[in-house]
Amino acid sequence: MARVCLIWVERPGLEGLDPAEVAKRAGLSLDPGGAIPAAVVTAPEWAAPPAVRSRLAGKPAQWLDLAGEVGGGPAEKRLARAAAAVARAAGRAALGTLPQVYTAQPAQTVLVAGAGLAAVAAARQAGLLGHPVILATPFGRAAQAGADDEAEEVSLLAAQLPAQVEVLAEAELRHLSGAAGDFTAELQTPQGAQLKRFGAVVLAPAGGYAPPELGLDPELAKPVADLPPEGLAGSPDKWLQAAVIAGVDAPATADAFARAVEAALALQARDFVQTTLLFSEARVASEGGERRYREARQAGVIAARVAAGGLEVAQGGRLLKWRDLLLDEEVQLRPDLLAVAGPVAAALPAFLANPVLWPAWPQLVPEGPRFSGGRTARSGLYIIGALRGTAPGRARRVEAAAAAADLHDRLTQGRATPVPSVRNTACASCLTCVRVCAHGVPRYGSDAIVCAPAACVACGMCAAECPAEAIAPPGWSNPELIAGLEAGLAKSAGTKAVLFACGQSGAQAFAELCRQGHEWPEGLLLYPVPCAGRVGMQLIMKALSSGAAGIMVAGCHDGNCRSVSGNLRARLRAGETAALLERLGLGPERVEFLHLASNQPRRLAQAVDRFVSTLG
Amino acid sequence: MISLNDCDPGFKFEVAAEPGGAGIKACFACAACSARCPVAGHREEYDPRRIIRLTLLGRREEVLSSPLIWLCSACYSCQEVCPQQVRFTEVLTAIKNLAAKAGYAPPSAKQIAGLLAGHGRLLAVTEFENEKRAELGLPAVEERGADYAAILGIAPEAAEAGEEA
Amino acid sequence: MTIISTPVLILGGGVAGVSAALELARRGVPSVLAEKGPRLGGRVRDFCCKATQACVHCGACRLGDLLAEAAARPEAAFRSLALAAEAQREGGVWQVELRPQPDEGEADPLAQPLAEKTTVNAQAVILAVGYEPFDPRRKTRFGYGRVPGVMTALELEAMLGQGVLVGHDGQPPESVAFIQCVGSRDESLGNLYCSRVCCGFALDMAGLIKEGWPETAVTFFHMDVQGYGPSWEEALPHMRQAIDFVRAMPGEVSAGENGPRVCFAGPDGQPRSREFGLVALSQGLTPPASAGALSEMFGLNRNQDGFLGEDAALAVSGAQGVFVAGTAQGPRGIVESIDHAALAAGAAMESLFRAGKEAAHG
Ligand SMILES: Cc1cc2nc3c(=O)[nH]c(=O)nc-3n(C[C@H](O)[C@H](O)[C@H](O)COP(=O)(O)OP(=O)(O)OC[C@H]3O[C@@H](n4cnc5c(N)ncnc54)[C@H](O)[C@@H]3O)c2cc1C
Ligand code: SF4
Ligand code: SF4
Ligand code: SF4
Ligand code: SF4
Ligand code: SF4
Ligand code: SF4
Repeated sequence: MARVCLIWVERPGLEGLDPAEVAKRAGLSLDPGGAIPAAVVTAPEWAAPPAVRSRLAGKPAQWLDLAGEVGGGPAEKRLARAAAAVARAAGRAALGTLPQVYTAQPAQTVLVAGAGLAAVAAARQAGLLGHPVILATPFGRAAQAGADDEAEEVSLLAAQLPAQVEVLAEAELRHLSGAAGDFTAELQTPQGAQLKRFGAVVLAPAGGYAPPELGLDPELAKPVADLPPEGLAGSPDKWLQAAVIAGVDAPATADAFARAVEAALALQARDFVQTTLLFSEARVASEGGERRYREARQAGVIAARVAAGGLEVAQGGRLLKWRDLLLDEEVQLRPDLLAVAGPVAAALPAFLANPVLWPAWPQLVPEGPRFSGGRTARSGLYIIGALRGTAPGRARRVEAAAAAADLHDRLTQGRATPVPSVRNTACASCLTCVRVCAHGVPRYGSDAIVCAPAACVACGMCAAECPAEAIAPPGWSNPELIAGLEAGLAKSAGTKAVLFACGQSGAQAFAELCRQGHEWPEGLLLYPVPCAGRVGMQLIMKALSSGAAGIMVAGCHDGNCRSVSGNLRARLRAGETAALLERLGLGPERVEFLHLASNQPRRLAQAVDRFVSTLG
Repeated sequence: MISLNDCDPGFKFEVAAEPGGAGIKACFACAACSARCPVAGHREEYDPRRIIRLTLLGRREEVLSSPLIWLCSACYSCQEVCPQQVRFTEVLTAIKNLAAKAGYAPPSAKQIAGLLAGHGRLLAVTEFENEKRAELGLPAVEERGADYAAILGIAPEAAEAGEEA
Repeated sequence: MTIISTPVLILGGGVAGVSAALELARRGVPSVLAEKGPRLGGRVRDFCCKATQACVHCGACRLGDLLAEAAARPEAAFRSLALAAEAQREGGVWQVELRPQPDEGEADPLAQPLAEKTTVNAQAVILAVGYEPFDPRRKTRFGYGRVPGVMTALELEAMLGQGVLVGHDGQPPESVAFIQCVGSRDESLGNLYCSRVCCGFALDMAGLIKEGWPETAVTFFHMDVQGYGPSWEEALPHMRQAIDFVRAMPGEVSAGENGPRVCFAGPDGQPRSREFGLVALSQGLTPPASAGALSEMFGLNRNQDGFLGEDAALAVSGAQGVFVAGTAQGPRGIVESIDHAALAAGAAMESLFRAGKEAAHG
């Protein structure tokens, strides 16, 4: 707390209060002048003198409308109220002096909820990294595999679980909220329900195979994992006909195709059984997939390619018809045995259906390349295995290993995770930040916005969207950015244009161009931002009013934002600002958004040249 | 309409068991062979991949009785491009052997066999030939049809038939 | 002669190698990475972004993220122009001799060039030496190096990355053909595996061409289309409308009057030929050039397809304390290579723990 200073700005309503006494009671030191780490200011930002504002640029500061907090009444009461308000604000300001100060230490315990290879491997890896782990399994013991898992490998791994892993048997994860460092989970066990705090959560529910809807009679059609028993065999005069369906309406996944091929091989190996493998695409992109596919053909399996959606199923599968694409002829088959392959899947945990606490699946588990290795948009939450559609075997171990390292890194601050500072005195409790943060960092506590301690990625989207300028990750508040912007614009000459460049794309491409010795148009000011989503309307307008002729925002391509929608939000805000400029008659072409990837420096150079030349 | 239930699942194994036929089941229908086959370029119905396909499905009679299987010029182009080492030229020899065994040899092939069985070569040896040979100082030749008839398993009547044609 | 000691030595600085270093750093384990070339990033350096209206998840820009993170990780040290020449294991430690490679004057901002012969003592080694793109000259019939206008997919990647598209005559082509599975799924070459990435990159490049040069007709010669997740499956029907999908492997590519002539069988099985302005050969992934030397050096196994490491379930390789990451182990895409490195790093860390325990117990 000693790191926070009180900067006294005299305001109407503060008359008669002694700054030194307020500081003393609040446990702060009074502004010594010069450089300070963090401050509480007794005026709202707009009312503070420019000198104070510029001194605090880049610093965690709490702009406190102290007069409002103090009110009237006896001098002693006013003094007490002032000290209390300043102390509260100081606490928040101290949050901003990261990475040293955290509200709450991130919880270190890891919850792995699930079963099978993915769950056991994740629990093991997290345990080896030194985290206390609770492995909550729906089964009676950790070694029990999911329906689609390799039982042998699971029990082998379960036998090697480190001592840090506590197995909670017959447990169900009923409820989950929070983000990295601060999850709250409700676990139901035969002993009753318990609420626990966790630093990170790995969801790895056991799954099964989801055969496609083809109108097949379950009596006849079996999942490939569950072939009809041996014994049904044909004779030289009367071969039995078997069919294995591996993705006909929609092509199979590589894993489903591989399992179908194994099933076809097993059936074909029986005496006088002719197996036909039906598929729309041979999905051989798995390890050994092509080899096994060839072995199946060599064994006598008939590979029958069917146009997508071209399999006609009659009598519950007792009659199959399709057009042989090669012969261009109708083919029919009355199978005696029928097996169907589908992708792995698991039921969505019920708590994820809560739209207030959890975003929809595509926002929670985006498909983009930045959300691999079990990562989700929610910091500290990892979804691996069947629920993610990951095939059993190596792919699940990969996810488990990546998730364990990532959560360890987050919880042990290897990543210097920032915590946004919230000016609760300014906060309007509008919950905008709660809604825009893709990573689940801010949430509404009992009477204020609180931030999960190890979850923020400093994208700054909350800062861009907050109507009250009340929240920002350290270093990225509006005043700090604007101070930098004004200083930069004051220095640059010629036609002044600002390029706000996202750290995941634009700024990297910019740096690459600089390395290549690219010559930028005179007057261009690069302003790197952690995410394009940091660039809200206020910032754009501020840049324009500070002398910029045009603003370009370079963010990631649609579908590749680290914070899910920062790029789209920035594009939207740029569009809105352009529309506003048009209405004002100032020219909408002054504001532009550019989709970009870090490996597209040329695209950036061309776009900037074109943009600056149109500004004239 | 092809009913797989009425096809012969054993046929492909039979072809594979013939000398040269081993590769047939590896085919994954990539069509590289069809693209390169010069005969396919001239005869619309001819398509190596189609012959393989029918064989794999077990269309025994259709394949063996097809006149198409005898059209191959044995240029080995298909064999050279095949990524699965099907060796179609040799596979076709296997199929042709089965066809001949099943009595589906086309008239031309029967004729050739008959000629061989009758004369031991593709034309009859007459006085005229031997006279000409003598003029050139070459030794006379004699017909050794019986040996070939034995190898080809052809009865004397067939040999006669070949001679007539 | 310098001697460095490190818990883990990583060979190869492609996406898999750099990820292995980061994965170790996230676990708090320091490492030294030795890249034989001048720069980090491997093949992905030359890849273009294939986004059109939206990102198509090709993963190429993940390299930027990796290098940015690498710059901020003090645990990972990068050495360029460093080739492993010899290795021996003594007392649970690998002693690997690195030799400096000729400087090509292309410095990497993150990696320090190896100045002199250096011995690295490491408890574990991660091999992330990548793959060798199939040399299409081995498939003479596709005309690469002979027929003007026939190029490799890698060359097309680099060209598109420059925002350029020129065909056989130096002009933007009216038509482009992709030939798939060149060097993959091919028993006659001994490559009986699917390379897993080429359907993806080819169709993504096709999409890029259709966006940048809408008049250009694109034909896709293939056998099967592999899958790359839900949004890919959703996009496939749209791709089929914009691109001519021909399910046939061409028999031959020869020089035609107006560009390379591709002969292929039509749906009726009849040979036909068509000329294209440009033909791209989607070359597959083959084992790394150094697979033989490394497997000998470290005494490790190669799998059926010739890649490093035989165990299908783990990233382990058969040799003690040696782990394999990325395409060195088998064909996989960029993101999969990045993630695969987590498995190798996790296994390497475990081996360090085990060694530590054994040491503690005497
Ligand atoms: C034409 C083409 C297009 C592709 N497009 C895509 C795509 O769009 N999306 C996708 O996901 N994947 C794509 N891929 C696959 C992609 O290239 C790989 O997934 C990726 O490069 C694998 O990374 P890596 O680190 O394993 O190997 P590499 O990128 O090959 O890196 C290996 C590194 O190791 C170094 N090295 C080699 N030997 C040694 C040694 N002995 N000692 C030290 N260093 C050594 C090399 O110099 C290199 O830097 C494509 C592949 C090809 C051929
Ligand atoms: S967006 Fe701003 S005002 Fe709204 S709740 Fe968050 S911090 Fe408070
Ligand atoms: S900066 Fe980004 S990640 Fe951090 S709280 Fe704000 S919106 Fe969330
Ligand atoms: S060998 Fe026969 S089938 Fe093969 S390409 Fe030549 S003619 Fe056609
Ligand atoms: S080239 Fe070989 S694999 Fe392809 S269709 Fe012909 S025989 Fe079959
Ligand atoms: S993942 Fe690929 S397509 Fe998407 S932005 Fe990155 S480079 Fe472009
Ligand atoms: S990914 Fe596609 S092009 Fe590449 S080998 Fe597999 S099937 Fe062929």
